[in-house]
Amino acid sequence: MQLVQRVCDKLKLGEENKNDIILINLNGLILNDDRVALKDITRQLHLENVVGDRVFGSFAENLAFLLQALKCGSQECKSLIFIIEEFDLFCYHKNQTLIYNLFDIVQSSQTPVAVVGITCRLDVIELLEKRVRSRFSHRQINLFNQYNFDDYMNIVKNLLQLPEDFSDFLQRNQWNGHIEKLLEERGAKSVLRRQFETNKNIRNLKKLLVLSVSQISDKHPFLKTSNFIDAQALQTVDTKASMLKGLSLLEMVLVISMVHLTVLYEREPINFEMVYNEYKKFASRKSSLQCIEKTVVFKAFEHLQTLELVIPMTGSTLTTPKPFRLVRVLMDPIQVKEALQRYPNLPTELEQWASFMLSDIS
Amino acid sequence: RKIKRLRPVIPSRQTPCSVSENPLELARVKLHVSAVPEYLPCREYEYSDIYSFIEGKLFDESGGCMYISGVPGTGKTATVREVMRCLTQARDSGEVPLFQFIEINGLRLTDPHHFYSQLLQELTHEKATTSHAAELLEQRFTKPGLKRDHVVLLVDELDLLWTRKQDVMYHIFDWPTYPHSKFIVIAIANTMDLPEKIMLNRISSRLGLTRISFQPYTHKQLQEIVMSRVQGLNAFDPDAVQLVARKVAAISGDARRALDICRRATEITKLESKHKASPEKGSRHLVGMGQIEQALQEMFTSPKIAAMRSSSLQEKLFLKAVVAEYQRSGLEEATFSQIFKQHVAICRLEGIQPPTPSECAAICSYLGSCRLLLVEDGQKDILQCVRLNMSVDDVNYALQN
Repeated sequence: MQLVQRVCDKLKLGEENKNDIILINLNGLILNDDRVALKDITRQLHLENVVGDRVFGSFAENLAFLLQALKCGSQECKSLIFIIEEFDLFCYHKNQTLIYNLFDIVQSSQTPVAVVGITCRLDVIELLEKRVRSRFSHRQINLFNQYNFDDYMNIVKNLLQLPEDFSDFLQRNQWNGHIEKLLEERGAKSVLRRQFETNKNIRNLKKLLVLSVSQISDKHPFLKTSNFIDAQALQTVDTKASMLKGLSLLEMVLVISMVHLTVLYEREPINFEMVYNEYKKFASRKSSLQCIEKTVVFKAFEHLQTLELVIPMTGSTLTTPKPFRLVRVLMDPIQVKEALQRYPNLPTELEQWASFMLSDIS
Repeated sequence: RKIKRLRPVIPSRQTPCSVSENPLELARVKLHVSAVPEYLPCREYEYSDIYSFIEGKLFDESGGCMYISGVPGTGKTATVREVMRCLTQARDSGEVPLFQFIEINGLRLTDPHHFYSQLLQELTHEKATTSHAAELLEQRFTKPGLKRDHVVLLVDELDLLWTRKQDVMYHIFDWPTYPHSKFIVIAIANTMDLPEKIMLNRISSRLGLTRISFQPYTHKQLQEIVMSRVQGLNAFDPDAVQLVARKVAAISGDARRALDICRRATEITKLESKHKASPEKGSRHLVGMGQIEQALQEMFTSPKIAAMRSSSLQEKLFLKAVVAEYQRSGLEEATFSQIFKQHVAICRLEGIQPPTPSECAAICSYLGSCRLLLVEDGQKDILQCVRLNMSVDDVNYALQN
């Protein structure tokens, strides 16, 4: 989008083009219907059925009016440039009417029109209907992140360093020199390399940098490697493990038994009674913990459901009594093991039992 | 009150479009799909067929229908328009009876029933609601009365006029059968068996058997079409045109595609000649094989392999994990947790720090959003099914280095 925006800005700046171009911006997320999209186009074109910001007439009249306007035009008309963001969403409109008509105008000698579609989907052409695809000129520009790590480091440097026209010359030099030194350090480099390896996106990089830069204060006026490390730790937190860390002991016992059961029955859905049985086995034999009442255990089970660590099976009927409703477990043994390691004040019995229960896996 | 007097206008430009005398530029203009030439090469047989059909009906003072089918880009609409252009000339010189030509495109209508009001407006410049327009048209075509001119109607994209009761289609093909309607319908659609497939029997029987199907262009015809457009411009190497024609004919036989490729090739040639900073100025630049090859590459290669090659290390490993899981289970589908396990195993093998499940889920949804993978919605978390949107060979080929 930035690229298109920049091109358009440049086009508009050009002397001869300035008054001969009408830009029309459409976004598939906002214009979720051809009706709305059409009104928006008419409004942006300032056609004669627009009064103020409102468009008059029905959908059919609007379409007919717009098409007639475009048909009457010739080479002497101003060029129209349609910029369509989230183009793939327009393909889901009924009959793809709007895209067909836009492409058809491009393909016939009427008003000079350019249609620029922007989308993240690689297979967007396959979404088009045959007759629409035939009218599409099949010209695609693919923007990939085709840079290696050195380029990536340069981008980081560009993003962090102060620009040439910064007012305080001395501070600029100091800061820029510092950044250069910082990026040579191993710690910072390894953080950035990890970021590069997981996601080459510049947007994600910016998120990381914002998190690190926001740690600067009067006391610490310069970026440090530790800032980077902290920021990355913040970014790469595993949500599920941190959720598990906040559970009570009883809930943890249930989680362990549920994961054990799912692995035992090869990912078949389970219900509360099975989990409770497993819990009873643990509480009566293996541990000195008091055996808690069934209703309390059920409350804990329901709490896990509200956290969506467990989800009900689709199609399980409401007539089934609650303890017998089938559920699926959304946790991996790996995640549970990891959470157990970080769990504060884990009783030894539970730890042993957990390692026994999860050991026959993997 | 205000709407009725409105004129649809797009503001005119201040500086007119520049017209260049460069042969490449001229060729580019001529090759634009909109620049329909004076006569359409390679469609002479169909042309004369349609011409004689309409002419016959005009002289007979009767109505009739004709069904034209063919894949997109085979010149259906252009041929009919060409016929009508010639007939209009003949009408103006008084050789054939008076008639009125109306063109309606199914995809320009918001609703199939809107066809009636559109037709009425074209006929009499009246505005009416759909049901009222239907009544008026019914009267006009079925009641014998005043002596009227012929009406030739071109219905493009006929399949979009399908409704559950099929009343619009029924009327279109019913009106020509009335003795005094003088209504000639030419219907265009893509599929050859459309009448049998979606129409009720009583409609397809009214449509009759006057059908023409436009075959996809062969490579010789495509070559002739392109050559006829760039005739006398000295901008194209004939062999290059042949290459385009053969490639396009092998895939679809779509004339639009061939013209688009040639246009793109002229642009590439122009760019190249600019970059070269040619020492001998005014030297002619022909569009050769190299440029055509490049244009073909741009238009026909799937971006998926390039996308995979430029993705980050973890994304590549994730794709590898999917392939590994396929091979392990023998199924073409796997849940996220299974793939995650493979992913961690591969990371350990390669000596890379494995990502957390959340990071991995982010990678998965990223790959899903650009449709390298097909994934279910994220609500199912680790149970969501993941499958490749291309063949395993493609992944292996892209990631082998």
